[in-house]
Amino acid sequence: MKSRWLPYALFAAWVVVLATTPLWGSNYIVRVAIMIAMFTGLTLSWNFIGGFAGYPSFSTAAFFGIGCYAGALAQRAGVPMVLAWIVATVVVGAIAAALGAIILKMRGHYFAIASIGIVEVARLIISSWGSLTGGGDGLNVPLMSGGPNAVARIFLLVMIVIMIMSFIVTVIVDRSRLGFGLRCIQQNEDAANMVGVNNRLYKVIAYTLSALFCGTIGAAHASWTGYIDPSDSFSILMSVKVPVMCLLGGPGTLLGPVIGTAAFMMLEEVFWANFLDYNRAILGAVIVILIFFLPGGLLALRYRDIARRFGLLREPKMAA
Amino acid sequence: MRSNVKFPGLFILAAGLAAGGLPVSAAKADIKIGAPLALTGPLADEAKKQELVWKMWLEKVNAAGGISVGGTKHKVQLVQYDYQSDGQRAAQLAEKLITDDKVDFLLAPFGSGHTKIVGTIATRYETPIIACAASSESVFDQTSGYLFGTLSPNIGLFGPMVKYFREKMPQLKKVAVLGRDDVFPKSTAQGISAAAKAAGLDVYYDQLYAVGTMDHSASLSAIKAGNPDWVYITGYTQDLILARKQMNDLGVKAPIITMLAGPAYKEYIEGLGNLANGVTSSTWWHQATSYSGVGVWPTTEAFYKEFVAKEKSDPDYIHASCAATVVVLQDAIERAGSLDKKKVRDAIAKTDITTFYGPIKFSANGMNAPRDLPIIQVQDKGIKVLAPADVKNSDMNMIK
Repeated sequence: MKSRWLPYALFAAWVVVLATTPLWGSNYIVRVAIMIAMFTGLTLSWNFIGGFAGYPSFSTAAFFGIGCYAGALAQRAGVPMVLAWIVATVVVGAIAAALGAIILKMRGHYFAIASIGIVEVARLIISSWGSLTGGGDGLNVPLMSGGPNAVARIFLLVMIVIMIMSFIVTVIVDRSRLGFGLRCIQQNEDAANMVGVNNRLYKVIAYTLSALFCGTIGAAHASWTGYIDPSDSFSILMSVKVPVMCLLGGPGTLLGPVIGTAAFMMLEEVFWANFLDYNRAILGAVIVILIFFLPGGLLALRYRDIARRFGLLREPKMAA
Repeated sequence: MRSNVKFPGLFILAAGLAAGGLPVSAAKADIKIGAPLALTGPLADEAKKQELVWKMWLEKVNAAGGISVGGTKHKVQLVQYDYQSDGQRAAQLAEKLITDDKVDFLLAPFGSGHTKIVGTIATRYETPIIACAASSESVFDQTSGYLFGTLSPNIGLFGPMVKYFREKMPQLKKVAVLGRDDVFPKSTAQGISAAAKAAGLDVYYDQLYAVGTMDHSASLSAIKAGNPDWVYITGYTQDLILARKQMNDLGVKAPIITMLAGPAYKEYIEGLGNLANGVTSSTWWHQATSYSGVGVWPTTEAFYKEFVAKEKSDPDYIHASCAATVVVLQDAIERAGSLDKKKVRDAIAKTDITTFYGPIKFSANGMNAPRDLPIIQVQDKGIKVLAPADVKNSDMNMIK
């Protein structure tokens, strides 16, 4: 784990695995790959505010949902698809910056509750504003023409590109002054303030970054599904799943969100396929166990120790 | 210090991943029908209704040797998955059913939204799909011919009812509408209010109440002050029982009281006793109707009797509509004489039959053709059908 390049190599390998699914898997496998890429993008986004800054945000579903609606409404108004996704990204980013300036004055539990509130408020506004959003009846989004294979490949590519973009931003933040400042905030906000970190600004930037790609992903998802409604777009389950995925992998790291998402989604598939009735309960128990025994996520495991225990490594020559 | 306790977790993880790779093998059958169902989550109760009637149908069809395709009988298999009331998963499973399980046809899940999502996927794969619980026309407006639905549009609930009541009570003038602020109850409240206004009636009260309202006295007092001829309230069974009781407590009286969809469910009548008498409603189907036609259930009565014998309770319109989807599918496969998806699609589109559920003939958009939906009334704690004329079995009683 010493190599600086290992995380990038692993990420690149993972991108290759996901991107080649159409060559070896059925369309169902491709769909799972699209969902993994999509959730990885969401988890990498959450990592900015939840991982680096340590603020427990549950707003992911709000940004995703607003992105869905912004993109869908733009497309219905005749904006070309890709431009509509950009519009959604900008709209969601602006909303997040404005909201962040208000609710980031709160910390800890208070912030968490306010961030959940945002999901509910957004959902209620969208479902009550029937004249614009169709209310509870939902909205049709112009369907992409072409057969199922072509559509699946296009959206796989789109989600992977968004995932790579969010990874690149993560790398940039990680290496910049911003990432350092956010880690200071995570450790001790008052101390960070004293040594000259502009807490308020940094937090708003992190919160906005955590929203941007959610908006893009939401809009792309809306184009892919062809139909959106308030209850599926603003699902509180999504707001909970994304932080869990990040915590499972390792918050505040480069690769943690990627590994956590992949592990979580595969576990979900496994339990769903084998335990039809109790899959949610089993999944919940596994999450509790994993987080309880792995507080730093899968990345914090000492793989060298494990390997040695199984006799895979002879002697701890590196251990100094 | 990190302890070694983490190892068991890893083993479980690895074992789980290994187990997940094994496909769930299924028995071989000739005709495969796929059904994503919301067996867990908020829509579980409704999805279980779908599962129940489809299994009833499956038993009957397979007991008779299966569906006849061009002279030979083929057994039928229902491949179902639980999509946990989650739209994204519904889409995922529809794709799995089509590509992995290679189903021939699909049945849509409960509700307009999820029908739309699954219908879009089925259309991309050119697989015929029939919905039984989607009544919004927006679901059917961009699916290019592979999505069909057995419920007729909401619109059939309003105009015929206004017309019927005006015939029965020529001096009908003042109408009060109180609706629950929720998708289906809201659209029905808005629909009836528009239909009443179009007929020249005076809708002097037209409001929505919030989901979870436990006290309707403010709304009901305002309604009482206007001295209504017709009170129309929408909501789910519990809301409507409460509203009817509070109307009685506050002395709100009207010759016509309509509640949607309360009286169609037996819990409503059980909860209200004599107070339920005289309340009218509409429904897509009720066992008091008497249709006869094609399918494994030749008459409404045959379906009703079998259902009650099996379940010890009354079916509602969801049960009937969903049972009708498979009757339509069977009829179409037999007429097509083939399992080719395109040929069966064409056969479904040409459907023009009467079943235990009522007439089924699809409009150009794939929905069952608009028709006058049954108007029912509680009389002597039982349900009577007032209209349309071909299925009516009683005359309307005015309250007070």
